Amino acid sequence: MLRLQSVSKRYGRGDWILRDVDVEAPAGEIVAFAGGNGSGKSTLLRIAVGLSRPTRGTVAARPPVVGYVPDRFSPNERMSAAAYLTHMGRVRGLATPAASARAGLLLDRLALVGGKHAPLRSLSKGNAQKVALAQALLVEPGLLVLDEPWSGLDADAHGVLAEIMTEVAASGGTVVFTDHRESVTRARATRTYTVGKGRVSLRGPEPWATEQRPAADVVLTVGRDGRVPQGLAWEKLDGVLAVNRDVTGVKVRVGRESTDALLFTALQHGWSVERVTETTTDHRPAPNAATNGDMR
Amino acid sequence: MIALIRYTFATVLHTQRYLAPLFLFMGLMGVLTVNGSGPLPPAYASSAGALFVCSTWLTIALMSLDDPPQRAIVVITAGGRSLTVLLAAIGTALLSCLVLMIFGLFFPLWMGDYVVTTTDLLLGIEAQLTCALVGIAIGVLCSRLVFKRQGYALAAALALVMGALFTKGMPPVNRLFTLMATTPDATKLLAPTGVMLAISAMILAMFTAATQFIAGRRE
Repeated sequence: MLRLQSVSKRYGRGDWILRDVDVEAPAGEIVAFAGGNGSGKSTLLRIAVGLSRPTRGTVAARPPVVGYVPDRFSPNERMSAAAYLTHMGRVRGLATPAASARAGLLLDRLALVGGKHAPLRSLSKGNAQKVALAQALLVEPGLLVLDEPWSGLDADAHGVLAEIMTEVAASGGTVVFTDHRESVTRARATRTYTVGKGRVSLRGPEPWATEQRPAADVVLTVGRDGRVPQGLAWEKLDGVLAVNRDVTGVKVRVGRESTDALLFTALQHGWSVERVTETTTDHRPAPNAATNGDMR
Repeated sequence: MIALIRYTFATVLHTQRYLAPLFLFMGLMGVLTVNGSGPLPPAYASSAGALFVCSTWLTIALMSLDDPPQRAIVVITAGGRSLTVLLAAIGTALLSCLVLMIFGLFFPLWMGDYVVTTTDLLLGIEAQLTCALVGIAIGVLCSRLVFKRQGYALAAALALVMGALFTKGMPPVNRLFTLMATTPDATKLLAPTGVMLAISAMILAMFTAATQFIAGRRE
């Protein structure tokens, strides 16, 4: 279990970026840090993986194999994705054939567009992000740390990413990720910390479990004129609690406060509203429940 | 470590950043040693001088290859040990300098007219290695890890290189050149050059430790 004990961080004599942070990330859990831009999430992750030393406090029980996916990965390199991953695998102690086989497997699974042998610098942001994700998984990590992993990835990769996170946790690893959208952290994490102004607090499941929150089931279909609506990453929209896709359309459960915004976005993208029914969320959605429709 | 050095070599070969320092080395060798004759030590002082400037530039180029997110990935991949990554970069620079050293050792013999002894060759190796180590040390200290802005790094590197080359009697580089220019007999030079080599190895160790310390505080 990775443990941060009263960790504080500042650079030189600057302002404190983190103050007295206590975090527990047990094995087998998916831990999320939610917070706005500049709240100190990335610094917290850098301390968790050991890139940066805390000014005060300690980090205990970090697993030996760590996978780290930074929020930006834009290598200006002519090396191909396959060659880069093979090199990284070798640095991790794999033999060349094993490293290259594992790299190929991961790139296939993440469906890298643009080719395994295209130079890294020619890849789009999302595809570069897939390479960044692959390098963290070359050896099964005991701690997988991802900084804003959902941004930049396409909808298909979202499903794979959720699967990978669940797998790492299921095999006894710890997964830690950040996101600035609470809807995402709520749907994917088993434990969520809120980061703000350098303070970190555990947000228990209680409010969601006890409170009967008003929500709406929105059923959307293809419009009458037969035009095919644009695909939307429903899970990424604010307030979305669950998504069910079927042949005729999609059923989205969304918090009452976000219903109008969701309907507006759906209409803009060419969807037709079939039905809106009021409901309540009487349970906290299980991790990954919201992605079920996305797994293909 | 070997895997890290291979990765560093692969990136530097892909980016072609090694070309400019390499051409500088070749150019200096050409200008300084072609058609020489007489005793060998002054010629090897020229090889060593060329290698000094080239190794500094090459090391700065090597150390600035990866942008910060990429470096973070490499450090984590290497088990979170940033010192290992730093040492791998130094190892890569050193291996490159060894290759150039062979060129610096035999190019004067090929282009000029000298009487060669084993002692001469040994002195050539010692002198070039001394300069390569100091050059790498300056390159490490003036890398992206210490200077966030390339302009300041360049100015600092230039100042240090000039200082080492031209400050009268300053060991190891200037002192070495003075010795080699004034003493034609290689056998009398081996011991003092060995001392200079030891000093340069210490300088490299000190500059590496300082860089690691400063980079660690930055993180």
